Amino acid sequence: MRTVTANDGRILARIIHLAHRFGCTYTSVAARQTGAAYRMEFAFAGPGDALRRLDAQITKLLDDDRETME
Amino acid sequence: MRTGAAIVLDTLESLGVETVFGYPGGAIMPLYDALYDHRIAHVLVRHEAAAVFAASGFARSTGRPGVCIATSGPGATNLITGIVDAMMDNVPLVALTGQVRTTVMGTDAFQEVDVAAITHQVTKRNIVVRSIEQIEPALRAAFRLATGDRPGPVLVDLPTDVLRAIEAQRIDAATESPAQRERPRADARSLDAAVAALAGAERPLLIVGGGTRWSGATEIFRALAARIGAPIVSTLHGLGCADPGDPAFLGMTGMHGWKRANLAVAKADVLVALGMRFDDRVTGDPAKFAPNAHTIVHADIDRAEFNKVVRAQITLHGDLRETLVALDHRLARVSLPSFEAWRQAACAPQEQLPRDDTRHDHLSATDLLDALFAALPDDAIVATDVGQHQMWAAQRVRASHPQHFLTSGGLGSMGFGLPAAMGAQMAHPGRMVVAIVGDGGFQMSMAELATLRRHELPVKIVLLDNRNLGMVRQWQELFYNGRYSATALPDNPEFTTIARAYGIEARLVDNANAIGPAIVRMLESPGPMLLHCACYPHENVWPIIPAGKGVDDLMEAVPA
Ligand SMILES: Cc1ncc(C[n+]2csc(CCOP(=O)(O)OP(=O)(O)O)c2C)c(N)n1
Repeated sequence: MRTVTANDGRILARIIHLAHRFGCTYTSVAARQTGAAYRMEFAFAGPGDALRRLDAQITKLLDDDRETME
Repeated sequence: MRTGAAIVLDTLESLGVETVFGYPGGAIMPLYDALYDHRIAHVLVRHEAAAVFAASGFARSTGRPGVCIATSGPGATNLITGIVDAMMDNVPLVALTGQVRTTVMGTDAFQEVDVAAITHQVTKRNIVVRSIEQIEPALRAAFRLATGDRPGPVLVDLPTDVLRAIEAQRIDAATESPAQRERPRADARSLDAAVAALAGAERPLLIVGGGTRWSGATEIFRALAARIGAPIVSTLHGLGCADPGDPAFLGMTGMHGWKRANLAVAKADVLVALGMRFDDRVTGDPAKFAPNAHTIVHADIDRAEFNKVVRAQITLHGDLRETLVALDHRLARVSLPSFEAWRQAACAPQEQLPRDDTRHDHLSATDLLDALFAALPDDAIVATDVGQHQMWAAQRVRASHPQHFLTSGGLGSMGFGLPAAMGAQMAHPGRMVVAIVGDGGFQMSMAELATLRRHELPVKIVLLDNRNLGMVRQWQELFYNGRYSATALPDNPEFTTIARAYGIEARLVDNANAIGPAIVRMLESPGPMLLHCACYPHENVWPIIPAGKGVDDLMEAVPA
């Protein structure tokens, strides 16, 4: 389970697309708006390498997300 | 008080933008109205795909972000291929698209398309601007993101009512953009481990990729390579990073790389991969890649690249220039063994690229390229399209800087060459800029001859016309039993006539004796020129390592 906060709520969709592209699936997704940001919780299933890459990609997306809103 | 459109242009200007490439239309008209008497130069292309490729050529040849503009709907969707291309090749690019009014968004209004959704996976980020106050921060963020860390494309969608809105009070422009976030730095332990790996190596090899160009690391790379003394190979996008005259440089590696470069990868015991991502065109079958390398050192700014295709024992996560500086400092304090014997053995200076016998009555594309590269000035910028000519050029080009060789690598998108050359020429007005294109790809962007004429861009087009979609034809010959499905182009037009119809000088070369004088004439011509080279139709690119294979499967001729 990974919990993240993002300014851009659309990141949720992007992460799910990425997961499927990497051959993973999501086992649970929950998201809610808190103030101006979104709090999202994901759990994915898939090959270990793909999950690690997905994790790295999510981190990258969140770094860029923070930069956008500075 | 300014309109939103004026704020867009003022912000672009304050970000250093002098040139934009675009094509007008309904939703983006307010921006074009503001451009009418603005200092920013606008290059009118003949198809939006050329706007984005030209912006890419501008960015690839300068390292600065390229900017393209399109209207909503079809204008925006025509940008998509070039946006993906920029994403794959890490090109800093800002695409501005018109959008329908905010009040009708979501109603299937005329020329409405949710370009933000369409480009979500293929931009670093996109931003839909919903109010005039958001324009400037959105653009500043777009430029920061496009150029930050691993560069890439950012799209900013501008609804027409936001562009037409008038600021209630002067929105004060922040003259300084907020600083880029700090770039990651390789950690000391990993740097020490890399140095130790080199110190213990017998056959180290440096493999240099496009990250070197984007981090501005060419000089430090050359200094470091000289200090190490190991042989060097390059990916397609790393070409120009190593000094082409350096005897340690073995050329491009990968599917159409030099045999010696691929053999060096196969023999190396320590592989130092710098700013490259182990693309399958480089590795072939990853299981057979670098079979003797007990240690792979991988330096990259993008952590997500580590262990994606090839497992690295040592990863250096950070801005590549800084990583190389740190490595250089450390290496200055250790004495490495001499790798001279290995370098000389790997070098094979007598190696020639294998070639087809093209018979005397036909013009050989590779002969022509050999003559062209011998004649080009050192600082010439070469843009290629995609196909055989691209690979022949990559094997032969002697780029003295990575910003001198522009090619669509990751996406391999035909139609790139001519517009990319236009963009580079806009950025470097006094320089020799050459587009090397095939007859297939040229016909995807041929209308840009009009743009060359309009803007007096003296791009030299070397059209290698083999009356085939050559690269696909070659694969059909080698891997599909010679079943030439939809690759012959016997009905190509008379390209010289077409160029002349656009007011562009053109010349036909159809035999070997004509090559020299034609190249001289072209390089002396002050304006744009098309050199139509009627080539032997069945010349192949050698060597080739078939897709998914290893160096043992390297082919140098059609099997008997
Ligand atoms: C937009 C696009 N469509 C299709 C392809 C597939 N493709 C790769 S190379 C090639 C042939 C290119 O032919 P040409 O431009 O004549 O160059 P040549 O290979 O003959 O040098 C094709 C069709 C591509 N890379 N890009």
